[in-house]
Amino acid sequence: MTIPAFIIKNALRNKRRAALSILSVAVSLFLLVTLQVALRELTLPPEDVGAALRVAVRNKISLANLLPARQLPIIERIPGVESVTPFTWFGGKYKNEEGMTFAQFAMDAKKLRKVFGEAKMSEEEYVAFENQRNACIIGRITAEKYRLKRGDRITLESTVYPVTMDFQIVGIYSGTVDDRNMLFHQEYLDEASGLPGMVGMWWMKVTSAEAMPKVIQRINDTFANTSAEVRAESERAFQLSFISMWGNIRILVTSVSSVVVFTLVLVSASTMSMAIRERFRELAILKALGFRRRELFAFILAESFGLAAVGGLIGIGSAYLLYTYGDISKLTSGVFVVFEVTPRILAFASLVAASLGILASLLPSLAAARMSVVEGLKTLD
Amino acid sequence: MALPLKYNFRNVFVRWRATLATVTGIALVVAVFVLVQSLAVGLEKASQNTGDPRNVMVARKGSTAESSSQVTREQSRNILYLPEIARDARGRPLVSADVVILVNLPRRDGTGEANVTVRGVTPMGMDLRPQVTLTHGRWFNPGRREAVVSQKVARRFAHCDVGGRIRTGGTELTIVGWMDGDNSAFDSEVWMDADEARSAFDRDNYSSLLVRVADTNQMAALAKRIESDKRASLRAEPEIAYYSAQTRTAGPIRILGNFLATTMSIGAIFAAMNTMYASVGARTREIGTLRVLGYRRRSVLLGFIIEGVILAGLGGLLGCMLALPMHGYSTGTLSFDSFSEVVFQFRITPWLAAQGVIFAIAVGFLGSLLPAVRAARLPVISALKAV
Amino acid sequence: MATEPIVTIRNLTKVYAQGEIQVTALHEVSLDIAAGEFMTLMGPSGSGKSTLLHIIAGIDRPTRGECHVQGVDVARLNETELADWRNQNVGFVFQTFNLIPVLTAFENVELPLLLTQLGRKERRRQVAAALDLVGLADRMHHLPKQLSGGQEQRVAIARALVTDPNLIVADEPTGNLDAHSAEDVLRALQALRRDAGKTVIMVTHDPKAAAFGSRSVHLEKGELTNA
Ligand SMILES: Nc1ncnc2c1ncn2[C@@H]1O[C@H](COP(=O)(O)OP(=O)(O)OP(=O)(O)O)[C@@H](O)[C@H]1O
Ligand SMILES: [Mg+2]
Repeated sequence: MTIPAFIIKNALRNKRRAALSILSVAVSLFLLVTLQVALRELTLPPEDVGAALRVAVRNKISLANLLPARQLPIIERIPGVESVTPFTWFGGKYKNEEGMTFAQFAMDAKKLRKVFGEAKMSEEEYVAFENQRNACIIGRITAEKYRLKRGDRITLESTVYPVTMDFQIVGIYSGTVDDRNMLFHQEYLDEASGLPGMVGMWWMKVTSAEAMPKVIQRINDTFANTSAEVRAESERAFQLSFISMWGNIRILVTSVSSVVVFTLVLVSASTMSMAIRERFRELAILKALGFRRRELFAFILAESFGLAAVGGLIGIGSAYLLYTYGDISKLTSGVFVVFEVTPRILAFASLVAASLGILASLLPSLAAARMSVVEGLKTLD
Repeated sequence: MALPLKYNFRNVFVRWRATLATVTGIALVVAVFVLVQSLAVGLEKASQNTGDPRNVMVARKGSTAESSSQVTREQSRNILYLPEIARDARGRPLVSADVVILVNLPRRDGTGEANVTVRGVTPMGMDLRPQVTLTHGRWFNPGRREAVVSQKVARRFAHCDVGGRIRTGGTELTIVGWMDGDNSAFDSEVWMDADEARSAFDRDNYSSLLVRVADTNQMAALAKRIESDKRASLRAEPEIAYYSAQTRTAGPIRILGNFLATTMSIGAIFAAMNTMYASVGARTREIGTLRVLGYRRRSVLLGFIIEGVILAGLGGLLGCMLALPMHGYSTGTLSFDSFSEVVFQFRITPWLAAQGVIFAIAVGFLGSLLPAVRAARLPVISALKAV
Repeated sequence: MATEPIVTIRNLTKVYAQGEIQVTALHEVSLDIAAGEFMTLMGPSGSGKSTLLHIIAGIDRPTRGECHVQGVDVARLNETELADWRNQNVGFVFQTFNLIPVLTAFENVELPLLLTQLGRKERRRQVAAALDLVGLADRMHHLPKQLSGGQEQRVAIARALVTDPNLIVADEPTGNLDAHSAEDVLRALQALRRDAGKTVIMVTHDPKAAAFGSRSVHLEKGELTNA
């Protein structure tokens, strides 16, 4: 028999205990990965292609205040601006749903591709969207959720405007970072609400990344001291300002993650030390046979580390598989869309698992070091 | 016949070294559960604690937030003299037409910005909301760009001290006082004069009307009268009901709490199981002895389950105690109802604490079930054979 | 003293099956034990003494044959009935004492009484009487670890007799004790028979201990050599 064989035999001596240790490590690491991924998605929303060239303009008072449509020609004339579209939050409730389940925006259909780039949608659908007054396009996720297809009619009651509007779906897009939204014509909204002349936001594409700061500055300056002051910012900055609104939720998730890690270390460490305590007798025999302290430590460490490694592998691995290959937006009913397990998170979780294995072996090692042979042989229960 | 409880208790304590980690683990799980749920409770309480049973809220039909509702001046004039509406001593109808605007303000700690609800109220509107009291400074004067901030908002946003100035769009407001909303939704608001707000933010219309009925029995009649005007397309409902319904933000928090609790409890069950299996293993001879003395299998089973429950119950109590200092601590997040910052408090209600303990007990029960079955299945002979 | 048998054993056989290998621990043992006897059971290690004792005490079941205790065929009882039967009819004394470490001497002795209908006061009286009988009335509130081995074993004897069973069985009760403590324990057992009229069956390796009994029986390789 070899020493490694002896270690493995020992670790599996109490199979139930080994299984419980491994499972508790696995569950905790699964949770840890989940929280880390959720936190990342909450704080660093996924970036869409072309974001580097997009600018969002909102009313300076707040996003909930509208902007006058007359700003459009002024913005379009600013050098560096390639294409501009209104982007107006409709806040519609679909069917008998309690609240809103997907976002709808009114915009300029002709500018869709120019500002937001190509989504996965056929040329034919793009053209249909541009040419039909009451046309709308919806994201794949929403289409699947409500079993909607091209040609279907949908009715939405706005929570923002005093209107209920009918639309015809002419296209279903996918391949964007969030395939849930619905888009329709700003003119159609103006007509239905009877309140032309106001839009929610302006979104635009600038000619180059270098032009962006200048464009933002120009827009902000142009409308300063008018009745509708604006805030222009990059798409990224706009997204981040959204996240800031979450307030303390972020701190909450962060502290929960730390509590989870702590609990995990605690529980696993205690399990491990229980396992070692159980075989104090054997350790004492080994000691009596002439094994030195250092070898006993290595022995305990190898076992503890092994259990943590297997548990970590199961927990992290299953989280990775589930979030990479599972349909996360369906699982979380749309709260999370991407849920990417990044290499960084994988590395962090593995590090936690490894330190866990080392930490858990400390206490029993200490006890084993102090144990005298006689005492160990006497320990019966 | 059950084993005496003191036997179970002493056994839990006698192995405190082995149980400590498990008790602490369960305590942390329960603390997380209670804290996250207390956020949801606090959010719900803040809105449920708002309103007067005699008040009716009138807003545009279909709007979910006051800030996106519109009531024209003509509509408001029509409602003013409806017969069900109460009047004050001088015969003026108790109706307040408010303007609600969302304003983006920088946070005090510099971590970004968030929307805050600014409410333009009339003096009548302040009488209709006696919950709100002034704590510092003075009330705003009509006709001036002055505002009073809830002290809970003031602690979270920059320039909100008395004497401070907040700039928003082209307008600058001077903070002249702090108010307290008695843990209601008004704790998340900034108040100013209604007409001043309409001119500062360029609004023609009001956002909502708050109406006092003379007789609460006539609430339904008033609501029916207001809603029957199809052209106006307004909705009237008791103020209390209006605010009670604003609990959408609590939903995701609840889900988060439940998710965490479920996953962590699986870990906790494993921990409890481990401890109990170790206990059964170490006490094999003792179990056999009890059986020889005439204790039945089910007494042994019950005994170990009770021990697991005691163990976890202790963890549950400890967890509640760990969470308790957070009770009343004020925090804030984005409200899905108003799309603005809602300030609320961690609320650990007795029922929530009880839920935490029940949850722990369930963990203890599930964790001790298999070890207890194993203990009960041990042959009596083991009393004599086990070392 | 009554001479009718309290234990009647006929053709008792116990076979342990350990996978392929079968170990015959008892082979066709027949034995009568009269009420009021202090019988000692002797024999070399592995001869089946403990096995026989366990079957009589309703802790183990025979493979074949009968064992009647006070007219009851112990093997016929199910688990639950057997538990109740043990509580009421036998007191068992272990080589390793087997006191519950977390309970005091008093509580240990009280433990079997909790299974009866007796009230608190009556229980207290009986526990005190039992501890008195083994000479430990002054050690009632000590935990097992605060007692000497001999004292622990006497507490165990008090526990065995507290439910007033007719039969007391003891498996090497002095095996873990020094000569002096052993004598205390043996005297306590002897007193049970003399003063309370109990039937005592004791397994021992020690001829000196066996001398305290009224009759001695020898087992060899699972069979009686002098019944
Ligand atoms: N559970 C068991 N499984 C298999 N064989 C057993 C079992 N229990 C006892 N035996 C065997 O039965 C035989 C009798 O055992 P028993 O314990 O009755 O002997 P004993 O006379 O009490 O010995 P000692 O004086 O050493 O206590 C032995 O050979 C033993 O190996
Ligand atoms: Mg024996």
